[in-house]
Amino acid sequence: MALVAVISGAAVISALLNLEFDVERKLTQEFRLLGANLVISPGSSTQPGGTASQSPATLSSPTLMSAAAVLPQVERLRTRDVVASAPYLYIVARAHDTPVVVAGTWLDETRPLEPTWKFQGNAIVSRDDATQCFVGRDVARQFGLAPGGQVELHYLGRSAQLRVAGIVDAGGPEDSQVFVNLPVAQTLAGLEGQIQVMQLSVSGTAAGISGYADELANSLSGYDVRPIRQVSEAEGNLLNRTRLLILSMILLILVLTALCVLATMAALAMERRADVGLMKALGGTISRIVGLFLAEVGALGAAGGLIGCIAGETLAQWMGHRVFGTSISPRWEVFPLTIALMIAVAMAGALPLRRLGKVKPAVILRGE
Amino acid sequence: MAALVQIENLRKEFGNVRALDGVSFDVLAGEWIAIMGPSGSGKTTLINILGGLDTPTSGRAMVDGADVARLDESGLARFRSEKIGFIFQQFHLVPYLTALENVMLAQYFHSTTDETEAREALGRVGLTDREEHLPGQLSGGEQQRVAVARALINHPKLILADEPTGNLDEANEGIVLKLLRELHSEGHTILMVTHAASIGQLADRRIELAHGRLALANTRA
Repeated sequence: MALVAVISGAAVISALLNLEFDVERKLTQEFRLLGANLVISPGSSTQPGGTASQSPATLSSPTLMSAAAVLPQVERLRTRDVVASAPYLYIVARAHDTPVVVAGTWLDETRPLEPTWKFQGNAIVSRDDATQCFVGRDVARQFGLAPGGQVELHYLGRSAQLRVAGIVDAGGPEDSQVFVNLPVAQTLAGLEGQIQVMQLSVSGTAAGISGYADELANSLSGYDVRPIRQVSEAEGNLLNRTRLLILSMILLILVLTALCVLATMAALAMERRADVGLMKALGGTISRIVGLFLAEVGALGAAGGLIGCIAGETLAQWMGHRVFGTSISPRWEVFPLTIALMIAVAMAGALPLRRLGKVKPAVILRGE
Repeated sequence: MAALVQIENLRKEFGNVRALDGVSFDVLAGEWIAIMGPSGSGKTTLINILGGLDTPTSGRAMVDGADVARLDESGLARFRSEKIGFIFQQFHLVPYLTALENVMLAQYFHSTTDETEAREALGRVGLTDREEHLPGQLSGGEQQRVAVARALINHPKLILADEPTGNLDEANEGIVLKLLRELHSEGHTILMVTHAASIGQLADRRIELAHGRLALANTRA
């Protein structure tokens, strides 16, 4: 009974510990699905809200940055945690005599930068392709566009004829935009070498992202480098709550396991009274006798912990798939930690063995 | 020869029941004493006090120079492990330990375990091929022989045997008595409780109790 309790407890605790150790990485991955989480802009006063979807209708020099000043620095400091990055230049051009927001960016980075967007049609694999574009779902519906169709954009007397490679369904204001490669937008706007914002999707912990932002800010003095606050705060809050929940469950299971072991040990102590009486008659001190039982309990905790850990790994994988849709990376430190916890819990549950000290050997041997 | 056991005016009361009432005698080292008497005469109480399993109400029980009544809990444990070897009528083996482990358990409480010595002890009582058997897999006679091996393993000064053949058939009784005779001839001091006069006659002396008092104490030859 105690062994079953320890195995069950160890399995759940091991699974939860695996989840706890991996939850930050998993949550970070989940949040990366929300898209960019770091924005570089010319200055805080010119960026309303700091969100990536803002599209200024008019351009003035304080809203622009030199691509030559920003892009090389971003590239120089690029780490493996940078999932994707792209510059943006927004203009309000006209298509079919209707104003439409045109976003100039790197179209080959759009998919990794915005993993939740749905694309219909073909990919654009080169950021220098000046002949193709993506159009938002609403724009496509408004102008009757489909992949393979043509759209002509006009801005301040300049124009660009583009083939629609694909339709973007972002579920937001981006559905009303046309996405072209950066040079196309720069040429239309007459702003060669200029960008408005740089968006980055960076994986890692909130602290890690913040540290990377500081590093970028140090290299890009005069520019605003900031994590998108809503995403970072939501990530931090969710992480803290998830961790609290997991740790609370671990504590609860430890207490329940200890209580179960306690009940079993209380029964065992009664059952073994005769053996203890005999051991005392043979010259056993209570410390040595209880030591024997504690060794038994410790072995029970270790064996139960080990078996439970193995079961817990499977449970962790199942939970990972159910909660995050991916597997949980096994953490080997969970094994000694769980086994140590189970031994400690089993020992705590062995408190009733103290009663054995009161056993009178003569009484026991008389069969009373 | 010096007395190994000295009992002076020993009394033991359980509530209103007087189990021992002023018993006095001594036992020389190497003697085999048979303690006899009807049920309730105080035989087992006497053995328990001598073995440090029980304490007298008054009087003195000295074993190898130690006043048993004056020993504290740890002193009693050390006394039992070093000076006393018990053989019980009910065998009292730990049911989930093998024959070998039961013998080694006594070694563990005495000092450290020595598997070779424990095997030798079981070999001496003719149980070499039963070392790894649990008590439940052994006959009554075999269990009692394991108990004898356990009693001997720490080379005690005094062997206390409480009806050692009470639960055995004739064949096994003979084997156990033969072992006791061997131990006696090797110089062990044995106090044996028995009901059977035929077994009592094997001892050097008989001490008879009745109602907690000494009814008969044979003089030494």
